[in-house]
Amino acid sequence: VPKTSLTSPPWPEVPKLPDPVEEAKYHAEVVQKVNGMISAGQYGRLFAVVHFASKQWKVTSEDLIMMDNVLEAECGDRIRLEKVLLVGADDFTLIGRPLLGKELVRVEATVIEKTESWPKINMRFRKRHNYQRKKIIMNPQTVLRINTIEIYPCLS
Amino acid sequence: MVVLSAARWLRSRLTDRFWRVQEVLKYARHFRGRKNRCYKLAVRSVRRAFVRSTKARREKKRFLRALWITRIEAASLEHGLKYPAFISNLAKSQVELNRKVLADLAIYEPKTFKSLAALAQRRRQEGFLAALGDGKEPEGIFSRIVHHH
Repeated sequence: VPKTSLTSPPWPEVPKLPDPVEEAKYHAEVVQKVNGMISAGQYGRLFAVVHFASKQWKVTSEDLIMMDNVLEAECGDRIRLEKVLLVGADDFTLIGRPLLGKELVRVEATVIEKTESWPKINMRFRKRHNYQRKKIIMNPQTVLRINTIEIYPCLS
Repeated sequence: MVVLSAARWLRSRLTDRFWRVQEVLKYARHFRGRKNRCYKLAVRSVRRAFVRSTKARREKKRFLRALWITRIEAASLEHGLKYPAFISNLAKSQVELNRKVLADLAIYEPKTFKSLAALAQRRRQEGFLAALGDGKEPEGIFSRIVHHH
């Protein structure tokens, strides 16, 4: 039968997904391999995506982070950043949906300094109406240094 | 003798006019033309500069988000996915990375971005298969597809 414009549907053909049983075996193999690599320590520098102070940061060790708010911790306190979204090394990445487990990753940071920002000037002006307001805003800022990122072989 | 008002030679004169003028001119030193030297012109320019910087602080967020989206679009096209497909499938797979972090990963961690693109592609195909159904013909007489042999 010759092919017309209505022989096949207008959307592109979707390739078939691989067999679920085989897929499950392949997934288990990969998970075991990654677990082995983690417990053997065969990774270089780790990076993590952390959700902190309502922002997401891509973080490595010895990294400085500055946030535009006050943290209720004294200078020199060690802090553990929970809410890790992603951890990666050179050969593997662990993607959280949306967060990774606390027994899997540990991100430690120290509070270094708590200062105010440089004086930012807020000015409002309306022409021909003799209206101008000038306000100087200095937000409190905190600087953290990320000390370490550790992963433990608890994948399943 | 009680004196109720000051004597006539004691006037209240402005003595720090220089510093008041410098307070404004210090913000105008890098401007072009006479507005970096003359107070009357500088006042107007400095006022406009402050107002523009306050407005720009709000628009900076819009610029940066558009920049991140452009970068993510370019990176996902390198892996054969369009931006709306990439973002929607990542969100459906419960990966809550924001555009800033995705743009940073696309620049500095290409392997991780490739794995995210593969995840989005796989979720997209699973979505298509779920929407298309089994591929059989629908029931009913008038909705049957007629084959001519």
